[in-house]
Amino acid sequence: MLILSIVILAPIVLAIITSFYEYTLINRSFENFIGLKNYFASISNEKFIHSSIVTIFFVLLVVLFEFLIGFLIAILLNQVEKFRNIYYFILLIPLLINPVVVGLIWRMFLHPQLGILNYLISLIGIDPVNWLGDPQNAFITIIFVDIWHQVSFMIILLLAGLASIPEEPYEAARVDGANAFEQFRDITLPYMRPVIIITLLIRLIFALKTYDLIYIMTKGGPGDATDIISYYIYRSAFIGLDLGQAASMSVILLLVVCIIIYPLFKYMNRADE
Amino acid sequence: MNNRHIQLINVSKKFQNNIVVNDVSFEIADNEFFVLLGPSGCGKSTTLRMIAGLEEVSSGKIISNNLNITEEDPKDRNMAFVFQNYALYPHMDVKKNLSYSLKLRKTDQNIINQKIEWVASLLKIKELLNRKPSQLSGGQRQRVALGRSLVREPNAFLLDEPLSNLDAQLRVEMRQELILLQKNLSKTFIYVTHDQVEAMTMASRICIMNNGKVLQIGKPQEVYDNPNSIFVAKFLANPVNNILKSKIASRNGDLHIESLNLTIKNSDLNHLSEVFFSIRPENLNLTSSDQSHTFEVKIAQIENHGHELLISANLDVNKEIIYFRATKERTFSIGEKIKLNFDIKDLLFFDTITERIIK
Repeated sequence: MLILSIVILAPIVLAIITSFYEYTLINRSFENFIGLKNYFASISNEKFIHSSIVTIFFVLLVVLFEFLIGFLIAILLNQVEKFRNIYYFILLIPLLINPVVVGLIWRMFLHPQLGILNYLISLIGIDPVNWLGDPQNAFITIIFVDIWHQVSFMIILLLAGLASIPEEPYEAARVDGANAFEQFRDITLPYMRPVIIITLLIRLIFALKTYDLIYIMTKGGPGDATDIISYYIYRSAFIGLDLGQAASMSVILLLVVCIIIYPLFKYMNRADE
Repeated sequence: MNNRHIQLINVSKKFQNNIVVNDVSFEIADNEFFVLLGPSGCGKSTTLRMIAGLEEVSSGKIISNNLNITEEDPKDRNMAFVFQNYALYPHMDVKKNLSYSLKLRKTDQNIINQKIEWVASLLKIKELLNRKPSQLSGGQRQRVALGRSLVREPNAFLLDEPLSNLDAQLRVEMRQELILLQKNLSKTFIYVTHDQVEAMTMASRICIMNNGKVLQIGKPQEVYDNPNSIFVAKFLANPVNNILKSKIASRNGDLHIESLNLTIKNSDLNHLSEVFFSIRPENLNLTSSDQSHTFEVKIAQIENHGHELLISANLDVNKEIIYFRATKERTFSIGEKIKLNFDIKDLLFFDTITERIIK
C-alpha cells in the first residue's frame, strides 16, 4: 500500500501541486503560487485547443475503425475451426512489438523515396505519396499505423467474447426463424455488450494517451497536423520548459480520462454482483 | 391430413469419419407422442436435430406432410424445438422470449398479445412475464421454453431431453403436464430422452436406439414385454432386468437350463448349447412348493425401496446374481435359502452371438 502510494500517487500529487505554481525548468522553484492561472492559460491556449481537437479526432477515428475492423475480423475468425491458435499468434505479433519499433518500421515503409509502400504503388502506376510530409496525409497515415498496431487488441478481446457465446440461443433463433442479421442483432450483440463496452473504453483511454507513435513518426508535424495532446504536453514541458503549464494540461487530461473510466468502473462493479 | 406425418427414410449422419446416425428409418403418425430412447451418444439427439433442420443430413430423406423437407431451413419446417438447457434469450424478458418468433414473422401485436395470454395461462407463467430468464428457477425456465414453442402453433414439437435438468419431484409433475398438453393440443410430439421411465410413461410409441441404429419401435408395453434384443431388455428396466448366460441341454424335447437347474417342457431350442435368458425381477415369485419352473437361490443383499424390497440372490449352481422383488410383509435375511418360481411366458431367450431374441 505504501509503495503503491509512493510510486503511483506521489507523481500525480506532485503534478497537481506543480500545476498551481509558476514552475519552469529555468526557474525550478515553488515560490510563485498562481492558483488556477496555469489552467486558464491552458484552456485559452490556441495550441492546446488545437491539439485537443486533433486528439479527439484521432481517438474517435482510431477507436471506431479499430472496433469495426476488429469486430468484423473477429466474427470471421470465430467461424474458423482449424489453426485457430496460429491465427491468434499472428494477430498477437503487432501487439507484442514496442510502439517505438512499430513507428520506426512504418517510417521506413513509408519513406517517400526509399519506402517499400511507394515502390509497391509505383508498380501499379500510382505516383509516390508523401505519407508523413503532407499535413492531411500525415494525420491519416498515423491513424492507419495505429490501427495496424492496435486492431489485434480488439480482435482478440472480441473473439474471446464471441467464442464464449453458447450455441443454443443461435439454434433457438434459427428455429424461431431469425436470419443471419437478426441473429447478430438479437443474440450476438446483446451477448457481446459487456465485452464491447469494456474493449471500447480501454482502447479509448489508451488512444487518448498515444504518444510514442507520434514522437517517432511525425513529432507532431508537419506543422501541428498530428500534434496530439500528450505530445503537446511533452513539448510544453521539455521544449517550452514551462512545467507548471504542462502540469495543468496533464491534470486536465487526467480528469478527462477519469470521467471516461468512471462508467467502466461502475460497469465492472455491477458485473461483480 | 394423412397419418404419415413425419417420415425418416434411411437417414444417416456422419461427423468426419464418425457415423453418429446410421440408416435410421421410421414413420411418425399425426398426434403421436413418439419417444426416441437410448443411452447418451446413441444418436437420438442428432436424429431429432436433423428433423428440426439444425443438423444437416448426410444421406437419406426426411418427409413431412408428403413434402421432402431434408434441405429446408429450420424456420420453414414449422416445427418447434425445446432445448435441454432451455436456450432462452438471456437479455430478453419472458414476454419477449415468448413473442420473438412471432415478431420475426411480423405478426400483428394484438395477436401476439392474445397468444402470450393464452400460453401464459396454459403454462401458469403469467406472473413471470416481466422477468429475465436469470430470475427464473429451472422449472420456470422449462415452462418458458415450452411456451416459446407453443406460441408458434407448430405442426410438431421436438423436445430434446427437456426434463433432464429438473429435480426428481418436478420431473414427475412436468411429465404429467406434458402428457396432458400433448392430449389437449393434439399435436405430434417427438421426445428425446435417456430415461426409460419417461419413455414408458409418456410415449404412445418408443423408438429405442443404440450406436446410431434403431433397435426396436413399438408401444411401450409391447417393447417392454417383447424386447427384440438384449440391449432393449436391459435398457427398458427399472431398475434392473436379469440377463444371465447359461448352458442349455436338450433332453427328449425338454430343455434343461443349467444355471437355474430346471427343465422346461417341450422346447425347440435343442440346436443350441448356450443362450442368454432374461426374466424380469417382478416376474419372479416366492414359492414354497416344488412346482415346475422353480429354482433355489441364496439371498445376498436386500435393498429397501420403501414400498418394496429389491433382493439380489446367488444362483445355487454358479453363484450368479439374480434380482427379484418382494413385498415388505415377509422378512428376509442375508444367507437365507429360498425358492423362486416364474411363468414360462416371462422367460425370454437371446442368441449369445447376435444378442437378438430367439423366437
